This record gives sequence, structure tokens and C-alpha cells, in this order.
Amino acid sequence: MLLVLFLYFVLLSLLAVGGVNTILPEMQRIVVETEAWMTGAEFTQLYAISQAAPGPNVLITSLVGFKVAGLPGAFVTLAGFCLPAGALAYWVGGVWERFRDAPWRKLIQRALLPVTVGLVFAGGYLLATPEGVDWKNALIATASATVLCTTRFNPLWILSGGAIAGYLLYA
Amino acid sequence: MVPTPPRSIAELFLGFLSIGARAFGGVLPWAHRVLVEERRWLAPADFSEMLALCQFLPGPNVANLSIVLGRRWFGLPGAIAGFLGLMALPFVWVLALATLYADWATNPTVRAVVSGIGVAAAGLFIGTGIKLARPIAGKPAAIVIIAGCFVAAGMLRVPLLIVLPVAAALALMASKMRAL
Repeated sequence: MLLVLFLYFVLLSLLAVGGVNTILPEMQRIVVETEAWMTGAEFTQLYAISQAAPGPNVLITSLVGFKVAGLPGAFVTLAGFCLPAGALAYWVGGVWERFRDAPWRKLIQRALLPVTVGLVFAGGYLLATPEGVDWKNALIATASATVLCTTRFNPLWILSGGAIAGYLLYA
Repeated sequence: MVPTPPRSIAELFLGFLSIGARAFGGVLPWAHRVLVEERRWLAPADFSEMLALCQFLPGPNVANLSIVLGRRWFGLPGAIAGFLGLMALPFVWVLALATLYADWATNPTVRAVVSGIGVAAAGLFIGTGIKLARPIAGKPAAIVIIAGCFVAAGMLRVPLLIVLPVAAALALMASKMRAL
């Protein structure tokens, strides 16, 4: 069981270009349909927990492992998901440092920056609109982005403001 | 202000630990704050470059960032220390939360507060995007690429496996023609 879990997440790791969200549909297909380890509703619940907890959203992999095989499962899925991609990042990072001053690297860097920025905006938009755009989401997200960019407040204050706004607007 | 890298592996580990510890709603805004603004290990442009590289590699972006930066400063031990620092606390918290979840999931007040935090955290992403965009905001080609990626990946939900190669190819052409 642990080996099967590990191999599935190794496979998912190398498909996850752009982050975990890319392979969420595929992960859901495997754990819900192919292996029937949990229901679709249970998977969605795990996703909600991974979003609510502080930390990288990659921890959805640990939650799936935890649900399927307890604590060993949580370690195995996280390791399976992070090791292959991590090894690749380690290797590419070395190549990248070695060619620090190469013209082709500068060319690629100039090209990647606007793509990265566009994807960061897209990620923020998707997170801000879990059930579509409305004025409440737009208000909280805009206020949060504005305060982050124009002041030096610790973002924890901004998130506390979001908690109060959520209580006032959504409850 | 010239950035200075961490002086020891312990300092590196603690830096990434402090990113993971506070990363409500996503790691990226906190990674930018800690690495560029609080500890000043990286110049803003350097952070953007490293993030761009890690976004094009498979796997979790900020975990890749911890590995690439850890390697740059302390080799393999640094890569491991950065990754473990980033993951240690969130790993414990997410499992604790999963165990407690059944008790509060149905409470509408708790759900409202959690939704509010989630949307404010999304705003932090957008604000971090604005910070990253400042150096290139004067270039029309960059604006077009930023908007194109946002519309395709964010509003139309086109899979990243399609958006990334297309956007990268167009951006490379623009970069070759010195438009970026």
C-alpha cells in the first residue's frame, strides 16, 4: 500500500509543472475513481483543510496519505511528491548558477519574469474567487493587496483584518 | 541596501522555518517578505529570477525555491535544511487541523472567518504580484504577457501545461527582439 502510494505521487510530481494545482484533477481521479480510497466529497474537504492551514498547498499530498495510511502515509506521499521534483530543481539550480553571466540565461530570465507575474496574479484571482466574483471578495482582496503594497504592516495584521471582514460580511 | 546571504545553515533553516510558520493562505507572499524585506538575503530582482525558474520546474514552487537557494548558499546540506525548514511546521499543523476539522467544519461563523482570511490571503498574492511587476511595468510587451497569462490561467482556467509553453515561447520571441 505504501509503495503504491509512493509511486503514484512520484508520477504526479513530474507532471506538476507550475505547482500542485496543475495535478489536482489527476490526483482526485486516482484517489477517488481509480483506487476508491475516499469519496469525492472527502477529497474536497481535504483540499479545504490544506488551504486553511498555514503552509504550502503541497501539503494536500500529506493529507491524502494520512487519510489512506495514517502517519506513514503522510510522509510517503509528501516524499514521493517532493523528491523527484526536488532532485530536478537541485540539478537545474546548479546549471543555472554556473551560467550566471551567459547571454542565453539573461534572455530567458527577461522572458520568464512577465509570465511569472501573470501566473501569480492568476493564482491570486483563483484563490479570491472560490465561488465566483462578488463585491465582498473584490473588496477584501483589493484592500489586502493595497495595504500590502503601500504600507510596511506585517501581513498577519492584514489577515486579521480579513478574518474580521469575513465575520462581518459572510456570517 | 546590498543583500547578504545567511551566514550559517542554522540561520537558513530558521529563515525558512519562519516562512512556513506564518504562511497562511499561501507561501509566496511570506517567502518574498522574509527573503527580500526582513532578512535581506536576496535582491528583489534575484528573487523574481529564482521564482521564475522554480515556476517552470515541476513540483511545488516555493519548495523548489528552498532547494535551489539552499544549494546556492550551502550545497546539498543547505538544500535539505531549506526544504525541511519550510515544511516542518506546516506539516504538523495541517495534520492537526485535519484531526480537529470535524468539530468546526459545520460552524457558520468559523466558516465565514476562514473564508475572510482566505480571500485576504489571495489579496496578498495579488499585492506580491504588483511588487514583482514594478521593474517591468514600463514595457508594453511585458504588460501584454502579464495580462495574457492572467486571463488564460486565471479567468479562463486553461491548464498550465498549455499556458506555460505558449507564454514562454511568445515571451522568448519578445525577449530576443529586445521588447522585454
